Amino acid sequence: MIMGMIRGDEYRERLQRVKPEIYYLGEKIESVATHPAFLPHVNAVALTYDMAWAPEFEELLTTKSHLTGEKINIFTHIHHSTADLVQKVKALRALGQQTGSCFARCVGHDALNAIYSVTYDMDQKNGTEYHQRFLNFLKEVQAKDLFISGAMTDPKGDRSLSPSEQADPDQYLHVVEKRRDGIVVRGAKAHITGAVNALGHLVMPTTSMKEADADFAVCFYVPVDAPGLIHIFGRQTNDERKCGCLIDQGNVEYGIVGGEALVVFDDVFVPWEHVFMCGEYDFVFELVERFATAHRQNYGGCKVGLSDALIGATYALAEVQGTAKASHIRDKLVEMVHLAETLYCCSLACSCQGYALPAGNFMADPLLANVTKLNVTRHIYEIARLAQDIAGGILATLPSEIDWQDSRVGKYVDKYLKGVASVPAETRMRLLRLIEGMTCGTALVESMHGAGSPQAQKIMIMRRANWEHKKRLAQKLAKIRERPK
Amino acid sequence: MLSSKIQVSVKYCGSCNPLIDLAKLGNALKEALSQDNDLTLVPPESARIDIMLILCGCPRACGNKEEIRARAARSIVVAGETVDLVPTPEKDISAAIMKKLKSG
Ligand SMILES: Cc1cc2nc3c(=O)[nH]c(=O)nc-3n(C[C@H](O)[C@H](O)[C@H](O)COP(=O)(O)OP(=O)(O)OC[C@H]3O[C@@H](n4cnc5c(N)ncnc54)[C@H](O)[C@@H]3O)c2cc1C
Repeated sequence: MIMGMIRGDEYRERLQRVKPEIYYLGEKIESVATHPAFLPHVNAVALTYDMAWAPEFEELLTTKSHLTGEKINIFTHIHHSTADLVQKVKALRALGQQTGSCFARCVGHDALNAIYSVTYDMDQKNGTEYHQRFLNFLKEVQAKDLFISGAMTDPKGDRSLSPSEQADPDQYLHVVEKRRDGIVVRGAKAHITGAVNALGHLVMPTTSMKEADADFAVCFYVPVDAPGLIHIFGRQTNDERKCGCLIDQGNVEYGIVGGEALVVFDDVFVPWEHVFMCGEYDFVFELVERFATAHRQNYGGCKVGLSDALIGATYALAEVQGTAKASHIRDKLVEMVHLAETLYCCSLACSCQGYALPAGNFMADPLLANVTKLNVTRHIYEIARLAQDIAGGILATLPSEIDWQDSRVGKYVDKYLKGVASVPAETRMRLLRLIEGMTCGTALVESMHGAGSPQAQKIMIMRRANWEHKKRLAQKLAKIRERPK
Repeated sequence: MLSSKIQVSVKYCGSCNPLIDLAKLGNALKEALSQDNDLTLVPPESARIDIMLILCGCPRACGNKEEIRARAARSIVVAGETVDLVPTPEKDISAAIMKKLKSG
């Protein structure tokens, strides 16, 4: 056992030991680690631990803690070079290839990196002690190799109003009481990846704020079974197939997204030692931007890993269906690779162009990270469209595995679902189900809204575009003299 | 007692998008080394490593780092379908490495 690195089994055991309040389809869930609705997500997270021990992946999934010098899992690391940023992207791609789904650990990891730098900046300006507090927490996270979610998105109510202007103030999570020993918070966080199978939540504000919003400027850690914390797990496309199906699940062991939940904070107490911002509304934009940059940097890593698996499934299916040699099919497969590798280029570029922040840790280039994620909102959809084109209508009309196994009609399913004579129908069915899971419904929405909707990236690109420099270049080339103002 | 066999260790690049099957290659080498009278496989953390095999999935060769090479007197680098920069088809890589190991 290495301090700072656990294995998947230890993670599963930890899940059995905590007792978070979770609801799904009207049921109060007793065991996340074994319930079929959550198992795919638990398996994906477990793999982030196990791959770190596998010699082939160790170089990407482990690193050295800058705090202790110990070997740690990459998902608890604070980046200290552009090489670290590049390593993260490559690790995410490798993990995406092996899971074919979201593996949830990046969000909390990105939150750690963002909070690390912003607590430092707040202390420099205000003389507070958030950074040391955060370092103590970080040491614990690294030593325990803790899986924590990153909870930023508020329900937001009326989007045209700021937090303090909402008819219901709980639409944004806020402080309702400050006590000697800590704070009490109320509100909710929406769409939180891995919320039900994490060990705790790292909570951050979601949007830039004014002085009137100071109660909403709050950042803290809370264990998943803190009193008052309620998790309502989201439905996913075809989630009933997780119970009792094998082939029809497509991705048999892992999920389609990360397993998202609405997390309700019904007056939850947080001790001061776990509070990392409380009222510093003027640092919220910085925190949101740094978290968003780290998170948007990821998408040309993990989603490219998923695309590798999807392209592989599509290519194999074309072979099974006898179309792989057709020129338009080859062209479409090449286009899928081109789009995926374009995203990879984006993630690598923003990592290589990363830079040091005052706390000494490194952040990816924000402009390029936003370009990465904006491209993901388009290219992943186009990759899915091409996969569906090559797959054919059977993607939407494939009989179930239950009918394939039925003694009366199974032989017809077997006969009429065959492609080339040498390959059994079952192979074609399995490939089709995998493509269905990866391209239909819930899976795609993650590429659109995960890490922020396209407009959020456009706003950041607008801010970072260096407009005046571009204008000066044009003026110089066209020999336009600036008139004095 | 110190082993008189030549101590060989294997380090992988991390396998983000390998052009060759690194796990298969690693297993083939493990098998070949276990049957060899002069060579023995040791973990990458070992105090004494005579030759370090750095197995990388593509020409970028991310595992070929100074600190990894420094662990042994000699290293052999596989980077996609090359062995020490010499183009080598995937099916021949294991044999090419064994030949290099045996040639001292
Ligand atoms: C699969 C998945 C996983 C996720 N995981 C996490 C997670 O782990 N942690 C986390 O914190 N969040 C997570 N998210 C949340 C994600 O960051 C949000 O979905 C995203 O920021 C968009 O917010 P929203 O869903 O509330 O949509 P909205 O903000 O309602 O956006 C809907 C549309 O309205 C537009 N819009 C919104 N506000 C305005 C406005 N004021 N003026 C004009 N137009 C507006 C948007 O541009 C968009 O076009 C996840 C989301 C998904 C889908």
